[in-house]
This record gives sequence, C-alpha cells and structure tokens, in this order.
Amino acid sequence: MKNQDLNINKEYEYGFTTDIESIRAPKGLNEDTIKFISNIKKEPKWMLDWRLKAFNRLSSLKEPNWQKPKYPKINYQNLYYYSAPKSSSEKPKSLDEIDPKILETYKKLGIPLVEQQRLNGIAVDAVFDSVSVATTFKDELTKKGIIFCSISEAIQEHPDLVKKYLGSVIPLSDHYFATLNSAVFTDGSFVYIPPNTRCPMELSTYFRINASETGQFERTLIIADKGSYVSYLEGCTAPMRDENQLHAANVELIALDDAEIKYSTVQNWYPGDKNGVGGIYNFVTKRGACRGKNSKISWTQVETGSAITWKYPSCILQGDNSVGEFYSIAITNNYQKADTGTKMIHLGKNTKSKIISKGISAGNADNTYRGLVDINKKATNSRNYTQCDSLLMGNKCGAHTVPYIKNKNSTSTIEHEATTTKINEEQLYYCNQRGLDQEEAVSLIVNGFCKEVLQQLPMEFAVEAQKLVAISLEGSVG
Amino acid sequence: MKQNYDFDIGKIKNLSQEEKVSRQKNLDLFYEYGFPSKQVEDWKFTDLNLILNKNFDNISNEVNFESSKEFKAIENFEHNFIFLTNGKIISTNFGHEEKSKILIEDYNQEEVKNIDPSNTLALLNSALSFGGFSLEIAKGYKFKKPLIVYNCFSQDLKNKILNNKNSIKLNEGSELTLIDYSDNNTQNNFIKNTVDTIFLNKNAVLKNVLIQNSKSNGHFYKYIKGSLEGDSNYENYILSSGLKLNKIEIEINLNKDNSSCSIYSALNLLEDQHQEIKTRINHNSPNCKSYQKIKNVLNDKSKGIYQGKIFVEKIAQKTDAYQLSKALIVSDNAEFDAKPELEIYADDVRCSHGSTSGSIDSDAVHYLMTRGISKKESVKLLINGFLNEVLEKITHNELKIFLEKILEKQINGH
Repeated sequence: MKNQDLNINKEYEYGFTTDIESIRAPKGLNEDTIKFISNIKKEPKWMLDWRLKAFNRLSSLKEPNWQKPKYPKINYQNLYYYSAPKSSSEKPKSLDEIDPKILETYKKLGIPLVEQQRLNGIAVDAVFDSVSVATTFKDELTKKGIIFCSISEAIQEHPDLVKKYLGSVIPLSDHYFATLNSAVFTDGSFVYIPPNTRCPMELSTYFRINASETGQFERTLIIADKGSYVSYLEGCTAPMRDENQLHAANVELIALDDAEIKYSTVQNWYPGDKNGVGGIYNFVTKRGACRGKNSKISWTQVETGSAITWKYPSCILQGDNSVGEFYSIAITNNYQKADTGTKMIHLGKNTKSKIISKGISAGNADNTYRGLVDINKKATNSRNYTQCDSLLMGNKCGAHTVPYIKNKNSTSTIEHEATTTKINEEQLYYCNQRGLDQEEAVSLIVNGFCKEVLQQLPMEFAVEAQKLVAISLEGSVG
Repeated sequence: MKQNYDFDIGKIKNLSQEEKVSRQKNLDLFYEYGFPSKQVEDWKFTDLNLILNKNFDNISNEVNFESSKEFKAIENFEHNFIFLTNGKIISTNFGHEEKSKILIEDYNQEEVKNIDPSNTLALLNSALSFGGFSLEIAKGYKFKKPLIVYNCFSQDLKNKILNNKNSIKLNEGSELTLIDYSDNNTQNNFIKNTVDTIFLNKNAVLKNVLIQNSKSNGHFYKYIKGSLEGDSNYENYILSSGLKLNKIEIEINLNKDNSSCSIYSALNLLEDQHQEIKTRINHNSPNCKSYQKIKNVLNDKSKGIYQGKIFVEKIAQKTDAYQLSKALIVSDNAEFDAKPELEIYADDVRCSHGSTSGSIDSDAVHYLMTRGISKKESVKLLINGFLNEVLEKITHNELKIFLEKILEKQINGH
C-alpha cells in the first residue's frame, strides 16, 4: 500500500471556539467553589450537603492507576469548575431568546435546534460548557407526563425523584472521578418516563466544552418507570486547544419492571493534534441498573474522539429476566488512547447480557477492551455472550483485550471470543479492482467490520457515525 | 493478620557468606510485600495470603532432606527417572539412554540471583532455595524413553515450605519428554514453591507433563520460565488435579523465528480444591506460534482459574496465537474465573481467544440415559470426553495410553 494517493489527515471538524462572554467560578477545587456552584444554581440545602459530602470523601480517594493509558498529573486546582454563557444566567423560555451565537455554534455542530425540532421530532437538551442551554419539545413531552429537563431544573422542580435516585447506581464515593463529579457537577439531563409510557421521540443531549481551562462535569439521570420505554442519544464535541481538558461525567440509568432504556453515544471530543498535543481526557462513569423484572438496558457507543477515553458503561442486572447489552466501536488514531469496555453484573435469575465490541487502532494509538462478566451464585440460568474484535492498521499501534470472566453457578453459560487482525489484503484488492480508491475501500471495510454496532444506532445517528468512522481513519492507511 | 513466618537462611547448609547476604536481600524484599493477596493483579483470583492464613499457623523452612529413600516406580511404562525427596536428588537412572549425552547434577545454589520484585514468591524462592536439579542434554541427542521426575515428600512437612529451583537445558536439536510426577498422600499442610528455568536451543523439542498422582493437602506454586531459540518447540500438559491449592505460572519467551509452544490442561477439581493456571506467552520474534487449550471440570466447592496473556512485540509479525479455555461447572458451589488477555503491538498477526463456561449439556445426558446408562455414568462419560480431548495431539502412543490412565484416575477422584 502506498500513501501518495491518499488525502492528508482531515482536521477536526468541530475545532472552532465560540466567542461569547461567560461566567466562571473562581479557579480551584475547594468548598467555596462547590458553594459557588450550588449557590448560582439556587440549589436547596440537601443538594449542597450532598456535594460537600462527596468533596470530603475525595480527599481519602486516590486517582485510579490500573488503566492502560497513563496521563500526566492533573492539577485540579488549576481548573475552572463552572463556566456558563453569560446570556443564559436568565434561563431562556424559548429558543428565540437564546444567544444567537450559541445557536450558530450548534448549527456548525450539525444540530440546528430549530430545524431539528421541526423536522426530526427529536427533543434536544443542549449543554454548553456547564449549563443546559435549551430543551426543545418540552410541551409535547409534558403532556405525556414525561419529564425531560436539565438536572438543575429537576433538583428544583422534582426533588423527590432526584433524592430517591441520584447516587443510587453510582454511589457518592464510588471512585475518584465519580466522586469528583458528585462534588462539582454543573449540569446535565434528567429524564423520567412515567409508567406504561413509550417516549414518542428520541431524546437527545449535545455536550460541548467551549471555554478554556474548564473541566466539564455533567450528570445525567434517567429513570424509566414500570413498563416504559425511552431512547436517549448523546453527542459531544469540543474546540481545538493545545491543553488537555478534563471531562468527568456520571450517567445513571434506572429501569424498573418491564422498562427499557436505550442509550446511544457518539463521542467526538477533540482528540488532540497529529502529534498527540491537547485533547480531552474523557473519564466517564456510566452505569445502569435493571432494578425491575424483565427490564432492559442497552448501551451503544461510538467513540472516535478524546485524547484518552476511559469508560465502562455497565449494567447491574438485579431484576429477574433482565437484559443488558453493550455495543461499542472505539476508533483511535494518531496518539489517541482508549481503554473502554463494560461490566455486566448478573444478580437476578435468567438474566442475559450481550457484549459486542469493535476496536480499531491506527497511527500510534492504543486501544484496549477491558470488561467484566460476573455471574453470581443466585443468578441461575443466566447467559452471556461476548465478542470483541480488534483491527490494527500499521505496526505502531496496539490492540489489547483484557476480559475478566467469573461464573459462579452451574446453570449459567458464558461465551467469550476475541480476535485481532489487520485489514485483509484480498478484500482491499477486491475493492480497488472495482474502482474504489484506498481510502474508500478502507472506509467500506471498516464500516462492514463495525456493522453489528452501527445497526444498533437510531437512524439519524447511524449516518453521522458512519461518516465519523470514515473521517477518523482518513490518512491512517499507508 | 500475618502468619507467623519462621524463615531462616541459617537453616540452609553450605552457603558462603556472600550467598547469605544476597539471599537475605531477597528475603528482606519478600518481607516488604509478604505473600500476595488479591490486591495484586496477578493474584486477583487466588488470594494466597488469605488461604495461607486460614490453613497455616506458622510457616517454617526447616526441612529434613534425608528422610525417605524409597519410592514405587511406575510399572509397565519404560522410562528413565530422577527421584527427588522434598525437592533434592536422591537417585537417578538413565538406563535407556547414552549417559555421556546427559548431564545431571544438584542445582548449583551459587546461581541463585536476585529476581525482580514483581513476583514475591520467586523472591522467597531465591532467598530459601535448596535442592533442585540441573539437567542438560547434549547437541542432537534424542531421548529414547521419557524421563520421569518423581517428586516425593517426607511425612514431617506440617507447616513447612519447600523452595526449589530446577534448570533444564536442551542443546541444539535434542529432544526430551519430561514428566513431573508428584506423589504425596500426606494429610499435612505444606507449601512447595518451585521455579523451573527452561532453555531450548535451536530445533530442540521438549514435552513437559505435570502430573499429580494422589489427593494432597499440598499448596503448590510452580513458576516455569522458558526461553526458546529458533525452530524449537515446547509443549506442556497439565494434569495436576488433586492438590488443595495449585498455581502454575508459565512464562514462555519465543525469542527467535519459527519457535512455537503449546499448553494443554485437563483438570477435574473436587471438594475445595483450587487451581490456577496463569500463562504469559511473549512473542518476541516473527513467525512464531503459540497454542493454549485449558479445560476444567469443577465439582463440589472447587474453583478453577485461567489467566492467560498473549503478548506480541512490534517486530513479531506473522504471529499465530490462540487461547481457548473451557469449563464445565457441575456443582452450584463451584466457580470458574478467566482472564484471557491479548496485548498486541504488531499488525500482521492472527491472534484470537475464546472462553466458555457452563453446565453439562442436559440433552447429551438425556441421550445417554435413554441408552440405559445411569445418570452418574453419563455425566462421567461426558466429563471424560470433554477432558480427554486435550490428549488428542499426542502422537507417541505409549505416552498417550499412560496419560489417559492418569486422567481417568483423576476423573475418578484418585
């Protein structure tokens, strides 16, 4: 294969910054910062106490160091923990009131709120730096009793629900980054689907880090009550900066009896430049609890961005007959590092889980699948199927698989398989013969490699994700 | 709570002052970490510190090496032997071979050096090592009959720890089948900590079989470190059911082109037996092959573990590596844990692994029962078929028959 007929690496498309005034909390991580955040959000006292409790626990926790990608020490005192566009300190009532510059940013991102509202019928909650800027389609959702708002709003309006479920899946002091998030989380989405309701549209959040030297700590809480269904999409971008930015989000999902939650992510944070300078540290904790009988949680993720991705969307299968699924594509190019996978913890009887993970590694990147399947003694007749495939492009990158498999009863079955290969020369040759250039051929083959996962994405996202897969790998074959 | 350690280098005879100092350094380093607990990633599934705390009041390295001089050799199977009591050579017999081609002697204790602190049991071994053997086979010599290393133990090993090192070196083009045969029916709790160093020169072939012949309260740890030169081949068969605790750690370095290794294991664990197989195959050179097939049957309260790692260096293109672990969980109190790991830095490779665990196929049991076979027999038949598969690759007929018998004995619970 020769490099000459290929395009040069395509630049990060979403690397622009938006020039708007923002309000920031004073730099540094301390009680005052937390009080500042809590105060500016007019939070009740119980919320502030909760945050402070997390903050106090933080001092006794250490940053994890077992993951493969190592990173330079983060100076937590040198970060801003709250940054909000000034114009939104008075919360807009409708889209017309939103700062046109922000709207323009979203347009650049490909999520024209107004248009999307009209055409796609997707309700969007957009989080810009630290605050939720707009939530579309609110009225229609409200009629059905569905609550879809920012978490700050939920703390004000629905304190009972928040109190009951916040921290019930990811405990207050679960690990360092989750605890940090509990202390300083700024905004995020809150979804509650009432019993026997099928959410009529896809709910969606778009996250963007705009300001420099800020960390983004959003918190998402989704509750699907008995017999309900919701599909939730999440997308993220950030401007190009040569410093590393921290993103430590917590996402908690709760599915009660017969409920189903489908959570899809397309993560395209700024990955750093070709030499590995800058980029987002994406240290995210995502966890779902299938509390009720026959409940189901399905995670789908397309991870193409971030300098370091470090996340394990997990399912705790508590209810009998509950189902957990995890579909993942992780693409790393240049100096990106991804350490991602899932945990499936089977506690209830007849629980099932399925893991499909596709890792693609190019340039000098490192891609690790790390997962746990744990079938407990009482989880009789449970099943797990895991498949993780890795694709290597070039001999400077690495692909790793680290599964932990535990089976503690005699009626359950676990199957795990993994392969590591490179793109088949014959397939490439075949495509070339039919007039596709090298780049197109690779894109086609990679898309085929990822098909099982891409199929799981909702239509609008699938198109975007396919393009992203192609863009992320441009210039990587040679 | 820490056990009562009674480790004393002074109890090892004939050490020079220099050796004593170097061993003490190893011991001091060991004390810093102690026996590994599950906090140590390599021991995640076998909390050795906890297990030893439960089963030992104190541990001492004061061992009598001269007590037993008799053993029963295996009949109807022609072989050479090395007879060890508590790890020390008592007698050898190479009646089937040309003696000039074989060098066998006590392990040279002066070779005991400092080992890296990541393996604390190897540190302890270096501090307290005694006995052991060195075996070297001359260039081009192929053993006519297998060599059995009889590991026997004295009856006074309660709360004792044995530390041995063995070294096996095969020169260019030589071949050997080495059977490590452990026979101890003592009820006493004791620990055996062995480090085997294996070096295979070009074109050398070593078949290594590990057998446990009786039920035992022994707590064994064996660390096999192999280095392979071009076109050499290492094969390992693990049939060590019967020990209360057993961890076999195998690290194979495929250092030159076209070297290959395979590891097979068939274990039938009963009662509260706990066995772990941990492998690390380092593909350091292009065109090397590795193959692993690990099979476990877990009864009663037993626990089986497989931690396998395939590591492929950047330059090791055209690597072909495979890992398979299968477990049958027969009892609800049994457990199987696996961590089959791939770490790959070369792109033109074929690496894959599979791991399954589950129950015995009830349809198959039903089928056999409809043919008039009792349920118990049916299950046994299926277990036998499941485990016997690992012996399929053995071409040497006599050896195959011998190992089939051993396996059958293990399936019947000794």
